[in-house]
Amino acid sequence: MTLTLSTQSESPERTTVHVHGRLDAQTFGEFDLAMLDLLPRVADGGTMVLDLSALEYISSAGLRSIAKIRKSMRARVGHTLLLNPQPQVRKVFEIVKAVPVNEVFANAQELDAYLDHMQRQITGDGIEAD
Amino acid sequence: MFLRSIASRLSLWVLAGSVSVLAVAGGVLFYRVSHQILEQAHGEATALASEAGNRIEQRLARVADTTQTLAAVIAPRPDDAEEMLRHALERNADLSGLAAAFVPMAGNPSVSPFLSREEDGSLNSRDLRKDDSPYWEKNWFLAGLSCSQGCWQRHFYSQSRKRELINYSVAISRGGHPVGLINADVSLDWLSRILQELAKPQGAYAFVLDDSGRYLVHDNPALIGQRAHADLLQVASQHEASRIRLAVAQNPQAKGRPVWIYFTPIEGTRWRFGLVMPEAAIYAGARQAFVRVLALGLLASLALAVITLAVTRRILAPLGTLTSHAEQVARGALSFELPPARFPDEVGRLTQAFDRMRTELALHIAELTRNAREQQRLASELDIAHQIQTALLPGEHYLDAHCENFELHALLRPARAVGGDLYSYFMLNERRFCVMVGDVSDKGIPAALFMARTITLAKALAPRARTPQHLLSMLNTELCRNNDSCMFVSLLCGILDTFTGELVMASAGHEPPVLCDGDGARLIELDTGAALGLDEEASYPSRALRLQPDQTLLLYTDGITEATDTRQAMFGPERMLACLESASPGTAADLASGLLAAVDRFAEGAGQADDITVLALSWHHALDDGNAPMLDLTIKASMDDVFETLDRCDASLHAQGVAPDVRDDVRLVLEELMVNMVEHGRTLERGNTIDLHMRLGDDAVLVELHHNGHPFDPLQAPLPPLTGDLADQEEVGGLGIHLVRAMASELSYSHDEQGNHLQLRFLHPARTESSS
Repeated sequence: MTLTLSTQSESPERTTVHVHGRLDAQTFGEFDLAMLDLLPRVADGGTMVLDLSALEYISSAGLRSIAKIRKSMRARVGHTLLLNPQPQVRKVFEIVKAVPVNEVFANAQELDAYLDHMQRQITGDGIEAD
Repeated sequence: MFLRSIASRLSLWVLAGSVSVLAVAGGVLFYRVSHQILEQAHGEATALASEAGNRIEQRLARVADTTQTLAAVIAPRPDDAEEMLRHALERNADLSGLAAAFVPMAGNPSVSPFLSREEDGSLNSRDLRKDDSPYWEKNWFLAGLSCSQGCWQRHFYSQSRKRELINYSVAISRGGHPVGLINADVSLDWLSRILQELAKPQGAYAFVLDDSGRYLVHDNPALIGQRAHADLLQVASQHEASRIRLAVAQNPQAKGRPVWIYFTPIEGTRWRFGLVMPEAAIYAGARQAFVRVLALGLLASLALAVITLAVTRRILAPLGTLTSHAEQVARGALSFELPPARFPDEVGRLTQAFDRMRTELALHIAELTRNAREQQRLASELDIAHQIQTALLPGEHYLDAHCENFELHALLRPARAVGGDLYSYFMLNERRFCVMVGDVSDKGIPAALFMARTITLAKALAPRARTPQHLLSMLNTELCRNNDSCMFVSLLCGILDTFTGELVMASAGHEPPVLCDGDGARLIELDTGAALGLDEEASYPSRALRLQPDQTLLLYTDGITEATDTRQAMFGPERMLACLESASPGTAADLASGLLAAVDRFAEGAGQADDITVLALSWHHALDDGNAPMLDLTIKASMDDVFETLDRCDASLHAQGVAPDVRDDVRLVLEELMVNMVEHGRTLERGNTIDLHMRLGDDAVLVELHHNGHPFDPLQAPLPPLTGDLADQEEVGGLGIHLVRAMASELSYSHDEQGNHLQLRFLHPARTESSS
């Protein structure tokens, strides 16, 4: 098996998917199916975190899958954040400018800090709106 | 030395000519005159002989007269005989003795007186009657009695007087009967004296023959009494005067030379007088005169020769000066003083002409020097052109440095300083090797320039060419451009896969190549297109061939096959094949140089008419080194196969110690490309195939992909819009190709009837050891 996924849903707003192995033309179908299953379970406006620490390899097919997830999340006012991409993956991302730099995080702490900041922004916005 | 001068030779010839004319003319004259001289000599000698004969006759006649008178006088008075005899003897000195002999009978005196003259001149008298032997019984007496008119007896030797004598006898008649005789003795010494007293020419001598043919007297006493020559006697028997030529004289005094003998009879006797003239004496005068004239003539000729010498020398003197000046001209000196022309004769004209020649020569030499300088400049330019042209050609020998799979040896020899033949070879990439041999129409500088154009264009176009036929087409298009001089080049081009020995060839009107191996040598027939530069629309069919180990492919130009020997016979393909067959198997260098040597031997003496090029390409198939391909795969164009292949590649690279990041790059690029082929390239119902060749270079991973599907050039694909967020777009496409272009260090693409061909290169600067 060249790709394995493990999902960890800390809260309805935040779901983390750990991607292991290679995401390429062979495996992207499986990945897409799995995500299709998973995405509806994420609440609108929630955050999908893709933990890429164990993703060894990605090709254009994988990029397209990730783009699809992001589009889908965006449609639901959600966010897709990428955590700790390995050098090959980061290189591919850089070459095709796949995702905005602020949505990629090197480790969990950065991600948590970002998410806290996001949370405060949303709250603040609510106060201002009221 | 003397004969080297014309004057000397001329005078010598004059001398020789005049002397020979003189000798011939003198000889002819002498021959003509000698006849007359002989006639004249005959006349003179005959007259002389007659005269001499007459004188002898006269002397003898006196003796006869005296004797006859005595006989007449004594007849009536025989007793006074002695007195009368004495008287007569005293008066006639010619007589040496007188005798009156009577027949002893009655009436005759009892004495027969005989008076003889002694040596001292005194007269001696005796009586014959008192002699011991009776005289009347002797022959001379008996013969004398019958001579009433007188007759000469035979000569005899007198014992008493010790000398040769001749008798003249006259009978004394009385009453009609002889009663005795008067006998007169004449000595032969006397007759000899008469002969000697004759006036004879120098060298001549005389003789008297008696009736029996013996010499009675002769100027040479040794011959007296001897018998004369038979021819002589025959002539002498005639009565009148006559002459005879004896080729060899009888007289030893004449020393065996030819003589003329003139006879005259002596009247009153039966003797004959002979005068002998040596022939030499007859001609002596004429010969002497001739010799004198000849000597004089010689002197005159000598004088003529000397005059000729002097005159010729004087006339030819300027010629000598001209000669020495001409030698100076030969040494290169042209400025000198010429002697003035004295007369407008040949020598004068020659002098003037020589002067003109010198001036013209100086001009010509200047012209020649200029031309020579020009030639030298041209030659040096040609030399430089030759060097430049040589520099256009790659080296003679090429050994595949990476894997030693093949070896190449090329020889090019232009007929002139520069030529229109060409060969070239170069690696198109790590794997494909391009080789070509061509021959430009015509020879010399135009061909060389066209050759330079061709070889440069070929090198420039080759990297863009996918196949030989493509390269030929591109070259043709370029060469047709502005080719007003209608030059063209025949070219045979091959691209060799240096891993597999696969060779694709295309020919533009060139000679077919030869394949040599252990089985011999044979021509590889291949369809050719038009020569390059003629027809813009021309197309070039290709021919593929897989070289087997130890096979050699030989490319050449028509300089080989059309080399001619001195009998205008061509070397031809048959001789070429035979030569290669005998040399095969051999190295590329052996085959190429062996063939060239055979052509040289064939055309020895005929000279090289055309440029000659031979290129031998030997396939060794040495696949056993580190640069061997890691992978050579042919797979079905399906996802499963693609990913299985990707895994194998990864594993191979890993085993070779290639760094993980490079491995990932390779994998990504190959995945993108192959997936693309699988998804978009399908053309055949039964499925397409993908060839993958991967190998590891010193600093790079080299990959070739071949796919027999739809043409697709990844280099031409548009750049996808990269906004910084893939999610911004509706449909994301072209990412894979963009990744490929970004990841591969080098990428080339070509397409032909066999499909798409991609060549990739990934740098991996530091290959880590495979122990990781």
